Amino acid sequence: MKIFHLPDLGEGLAEAEIREWYVNEGDVVKVDQPLVSMETAKAVVDVPSPYAGKITQLHGKANEIIKTGAPLITYETDEVVADKGSVVGKLETSEKKWDDGDVIIGGTKTRAPAIKAMPAARVLAQQLNVDLSQVTATGPQGLITADDVKRFMENSNENKSSSTQLTGQTEALRGVRRVMAQTMAQSHREVVPVTIVEDVDLTDLPPKSDITVLVLKAIVAAAKAEPALNTWFDGKSLERKVFDEVHIGLAVDSTEGLFVPVIKNAEAKSDQELRQMVDEYKKSVSARTVAAKDLQGATITLSNFGMIAGRYATPIIVPPAVAILGCGRSRDVVMPRNGQMVIGRIMPLSLTFDHRAVTGGEATRFLGTVIQQLQSAK
Amino acid sequence: MAEITLVEAVNQALAYEMEANPDVIVMGEDIAKNGGVFRATVGLLDKFGAERVLDTPLAESMIAGLAVGMAARGLKPVAEFQFMGFIYPAMDEIINHASRMRNRTRGRLTCPVVFRTPYGAGIHAPEHHSESTEAYFAHTPGLRVVVPSSPSRAYGLLLASIRDPDPVIFLEPSRLYRYAKQEVKNDGKALPLDVCFTLRSGDDVTLVTWGAMVKETLAAAQSLEAAGISAEVIDVATIKPLDMDTILASVEKTGRCVVIHEAPLTCGVGAEILAQIVEKALFSLKAPPERVTGFDTIVPYARLEKYYIPSEKRIIDAVNRLMEFA
Repeated sequence: MKIFHLPDLGEGLAEAEIREWYVNEGDVVKVDQPLVSMETAKAVVDVPSPYAGKITQLHGKANEIIKTGAPLITYETDEVVADKGSVVGKLETSEKKWDDGDVIIGGTKTRAPAIKAMPAARVLAQQLNVDLSQVTATGPQGLITADDVKRFMENSNENKSSSTQLTGQTEALRGVRRVMAQTMAQSHREVVPVTIVEDVDLTDLPPKSDITVLVLKAIVAAAKAEPALNTWFDGKSLERKVFDEVHIGLAVDSTEGLFVPVIKNAEAKSDQELRQMVDEYKKSVSARTVAAKDLQGATITLSNFGMIAGRYATPIIVPPAVAILGCGRSRDVVMPRNGQMVIGRIMPLSLTFDHRAVTGGEATRFLGTVIQQLQSAK
Repeated sequence: MAEITLVEAVNQALAYEMEANPDVIVMGEDIAKNGGVFRATVGLLDKFGAERVLDTPLAESMIAGLAVGMAARGLKPVAEFQFMGFIYPAMDEIINHASRMRNRTRGRLTCPVVFRTPYGAGIHAPEHHSESTEAYFAHTPGLRVVVPSSPSRAYGLLLASIRDPDPVIFLEPSRLYRYAKQEVKNDGKALPLDVCFTLRSGDDVTLVTWGAMVKETLAAAQSLEAAGISAEVIDVATIKPLDMDTILASVEKTGRCVVIHEAPLTCGVGAEILAQIVEKALFSLKAPPERVTGFDTIVPYARLEKYYIPSEKRIIDAVNRLMEFA
């Protein structure tokens, strides 16, 4: 025999009223089967059976009030109620075995510590797809720094370009060609280039005009109008230096490689002086006699590639400068003029500027000034 | 050698030490005649008598105060609080007296008391029966905080805690009380305090946890292994003082760490562990360390409980996030 006492059906309720019995004496009930509907001061609730077994007595009729804790139902049951092991809540029990495996008191210490690297170095290594275990650490206590990763990358780039990926007979790049490779790669990594192209109409230019000198003078005028393009820019410190003077680097091709001798203070030179310098540089480049100091300090560059072939290009800026102007091959075209088709002469221009340091407006005004200068040249 | 549950291991350790040391006294609400709310002390009254197995009034502050007094006079009281949520009236005695006895008396007196309490959620109990507030105690100088996670560790660590000359907060994960059985030799051998237990060795990620969360963490480690990720599982066991040497050595090996605890996130013990990892092992980290914890809420009632307790899935998700870093 087992007696089910009325539990507290709310928070501290003293009693409840029987509304309706769902079971009769003599019924066999299952656990959780609804037994009775009870009305409390707060609500009407169904009381489920806590036991399985046969009901031998209902302690009350409908509409009778039962005190909390008083007998509600008597069961006939052989079941011995197991100690749940808790008066509150429900503990999970199982026949599971606790398998501790090989517990180690303390740590494992089975392997050498993994690579130590600055967080920034790890991020960089991930971006550049560098395996940190291949990188030589120079930081304190064997720490890999971001510079170590960069150094590794540069070395592996050099290795690749000289031997690792090439088959057959190879030659190591030397001198100017090597410098070109490095400078161009640096530019490609750092500069954010934008190239704009436009044709300049040279139809009205007097015959035998010195186009190269005219372009140099147009660059000087444009640099005065938009000094932002006659500038050095440092991407690391985000500083720029705007120049009053205009030092124009002149890209000169040679079998040895690309030379860019610099026409210093182009703004202060006459047409004759400019022509003289251009000629001298061409000569000294082909004779390999150009002085190192003449190859430094360009604030802007001119590439006259059209002398050979090509209309438009995307010339590459040489940092720290922020602009380069390319002149394509001049040619005769049919063009509309005053409603008529005429034969005119044009020269294609390509201006690349570093958009980190120069705005689109500045660059287009610069190019506009170059064009306007050339078209109004006498 | 008998296979016993975690709560039986607690009982076995108490009985062993009471037998071995007549100074050991157990006390608490309904622990003597009734055997305790979870039956951790069942049978002790018959064996050791009413002078050493004391039913106390329902007054936690008094239980702790009495225990502090006994401990200061040379006894070794093991006081039970029925649930961790009932311990707060005793905080004054624990923090202002038990933890400071040695310091206050310049070492003349110590306070060799063990405060035992069931701890954690997962047994469908009302809210203040589901607390895991180990951080309160870990934050208090002078207290040792110990959490077993298996029958054998419950046995060995409780023996060590009783034998320790200073106060120990001994938190028994009630969710694991009867969850599984383990062979535990009743040989009176204590396990070391203040040291972690590495339950599983691995190379890719270190999972740091304690108490009942060891269960989900080991399950996660097993699932991760099937996915080709090798997880090391560390049971911290002694929350204070923390055995950071073991944790740091493991993190330096794996480069990744997830701390799993049932307690709320904010200012939980996981915050302390991650802070020390960042201070001392930053350069070994391959990925930002993570915590998988309970939420900054009161533990909900039975139906929502499973959403509160960190799940195996949440642990696996965290590890997968860390594995995205090469």
